Amino acid sequence: MLWFTQIVGILILFVSSPLLWGITQTVKARIQGRHGPPVWQMYWVIAKNWRKETTAPEFSSWIFRIAPSVSMAALLAVLIMIPSSGQVPIGWPHDLLTVFFLLALERFWIGLGGLDSAGTFGGLGSSRTSTIGTGIEPALLAAFGVLWRVGGGSAIEPITPLLKASPGGTIAWSLAAVSFALLLLAELGRMPVDNPDTHLELTMIHEATILESNGRLLALSQLAMTLKLTVVMALGWVIMGPHFGSSWPNLTLLLIELAFTSVALGWIESRLTKLRYFQLPAYLSIAAGIGLLGFLLASGGFNL
Amino acid sequence: MTTTWKHQNQLHKDSGHELLTLTANRRGKLTSVWLDPDDHRQSFLDLDLVDGSFPSLAASLPETAWDEREIHDLFGYIPLGHPDPRPLIRTPRWPKDFLPLRSAQLSPGWLEVEPDLPALQVEGDGVTIMKVGPTHAGIIESGHFVFSIIGENVLHLDAHLFQNHRGIEALLEGKTVGEVSPLVTRICAADSVSNQTNWASAVEQLAGFIPSERLLLNRIILLEAERVLSHLNDLAQIPAGVGYQVAHQRALAMKELWQRGLQSLFGHRFLFETVHPGSAVSAPADAVSEIVHAVRRHWVPWRQVVMGHHGFTNRMRGVGTTPLDQVIRMGAQGVTSRAAGKEFDARQSIPWYGEVFEGPVIRTSGDVLARFELRLDEVEASLRIIEKAARMTYKTPFQDQPFTVPEDIDGRAVAFSESPHGLNVHDVSLSQGRVSRYHVRAATYRNWPLVAQTVAGNAVADFPLINKSFELCYSCTDR
Repeated sequence: MLWFTQIVGILILFVSSPLLWGITQTVKARIQGRHGPPVWQMYWVIAKNWRKETTAPEFSSWIFRIAPSVSMAALLAVLIMIPSSGQVPIGWPHDLLTVFFLLALERFWIGLGGLDSAGTFGGLGSSRTSTIGTGIEPALLAAFGVLWRVGGGSAIEPITPLLKASPGGTIAWSLAAVSFALLLLAELGRMPVDNPDTHLELTMIHEATILESNGRLLALSQLAMTLKLTVVMALGWVIMGPHFGSSWPNLTLLLIELAFTSVALGWIESRLTKLRYFQLPAYLSIAAGIGLLGFLLASGGFNL
Repeated sequence: MTTTWKHQNQLHKDSGHELLTLTANRRGKLTSVWLDPDDHRQSFLDLDLVDGSFPSLAASLPETAWDEREIHDLFGYIPLGHPDPRPLIRTPRWPKDFLPLRSAQLSPGWLEVEPDLPALQVEGDGVTIMKVGPTHAGIIESGHFVFSIIGENVLHLDAHLFQNHRGIEALLEGKTVGEVSPLVTRICAADSVSNQTNWASAVEQLAGFIPSERLLLNRIILLEAERVLSHLNDLAQIPAGVGYQVAHQRALAMKELWQRGLQSLFGHRFLFETVHPGSAVSAPADAVSEIVHAVRRHWVPWRQVVMGHHGFTNRMRGVGTTPLDQVIRMGAQGVTSRAAGKEFDARQSIPWYGEVFEGPVIRTSGDVLARFELRLDEVEASLRIIEKAARMTYKTPFQDQPFTVPEDIDGRAVAFSESPHGLNVHDVSLSQGRVSRYHVRAATYRNWPLVAQTVAGNAVADFPLINKSFELCYSCTDR
């Protein structure tokens, strides 16, 4: 039964990720006073690009061609580990640190692919992705550290049931949640860090790294982009969100939470402008600082 | 002779005159025309070429650098001592003997060579050369930008415009007065009315025709309507540069509303062919103020939201700053120059604007924010001017003024107006009822070199924002 719900959960999350992307886009369009494309648009875009011919820049190598697949694989590995219905039937490597390194691997390969595209914009995008990555990683570690201290281990499992007994843990949990929310925007290349909708190649971060991709490479990159959105949001909700005892209500709850987050993301993005590139370290330091504060609090004897 | 040319031009610049045009003709003569902003008088300075060359002014008057390069490319006259004698308009694909404004017959031909001109680049460790364009990701005109960057900082920008030279000046030569309007209207869609008005004023001046007050009021309404249209577009583009999509889309909606209004009032969304020598399209004052009110209903809340957005205003502050002395040195015009504190608006120097014009809007900080706020205030001022002029048309009697162009119309007139981008000048020579030389000097021509200078020292990622705050059109520059 555990295996069955887990597999259903994985499939649902995987299939619904372009839809969640579409929800955010639709919310943004409506706030701007536009109709916008249909919610399903991302499916058609991915399918269209998948059917197209794939070419690569003259001076690129095999790295450029496998980069989207590697980042896709890393995200799929994270997806498998997410206890979408509350529990995961597997033991090791079902671990927060593994997730951390898989996300780092994904970012690293996106950067490599951008560099290997042999274009100036790809290089610029890689440089920016890596720079932001160095800010994201300590902050993410701090947030995971809180979960580790509060949850008493680095396994990916809901920590909210453990909070009832500990007021200090609740504060630490709130700090971790805030830090994670700030990181989510940076990790997913959302406003105010990056603008996923821009056509201005000079301001791009994530988009610049896949600027030279087309055909299947582009389709894979886009699918990975939507999957990352789902995976990171699901990770946050499963660990830090509310939790039921049995599996099916948990899965339903997760889907509602994801839809809600997509709407919220669209709303937040419409309210913000992009930060100056040189102000991003400050933004990420705030996220890291909040996470670290939570970690210190959780380490100071409040843990269970 | 040579020293007087340099000396006289320098003297005019130093005494605060505005350079209207610097151009040549095929008879081997160079002329510069300066405008005295106080008494609105124009002074003409002439220079005869010696051995097909002339002394360059560019070293001491950098605003003439492009004019002289253009004269070299189109006439083949050589500016002696020019600090940057690279081709400006010529592409390597033009045959050597192809001089569009000098050759009697244009030799057709197109060499099969690389189109790129040599670019100024910074060399050294860690410097990356980034080429952008000429085809861009957005729906904009063609411009090739060669950035020398180190990390995220721009060290130098070499802008190669003139990718779509249409040869309008050469096309206009030999045309009769009646054939000019359709071409002049289409020099640029953003400054169309300004171009049409210049042409009409030049012809009327040469024909000795005095336009009635009502005709001039109608022209003022059209000129200001064009300014509102262009500024609304620019105000929509600046938020897009920092991803503020809500402000971007809402402003575009206002622009669309305005354009539909223009279509219903004057018959064209871009106001093409609305001003002709001796006439201008007019609309009933009630209908005009109705459209103005319709836009204001969206404008007032939009302005409040945008200027109340801390993230947005903070993003514009201190970015892309142009100091006043540089603005004056480069002869910059329009929004760019007034945002840095230069108190010049060509409308001051156009007598028929009269009391309708409230005086120039000035900001002093010279950054993106100043240019944004300046446009906000100018839109409101233009809307007020439109309403005022529309009311005044009621009071002025309608006179039927038949205008016929004299068969033998002859002479030279320099007409100018304040286009949405700044001082826009037409230098028109007619002989025996036909155009013998037509020179267009758009405001953007003066401002482009300044954009390149401003960007150096800023972050690469801020270039779109800075560029959009200037929002210069390419087609006025590259006629």
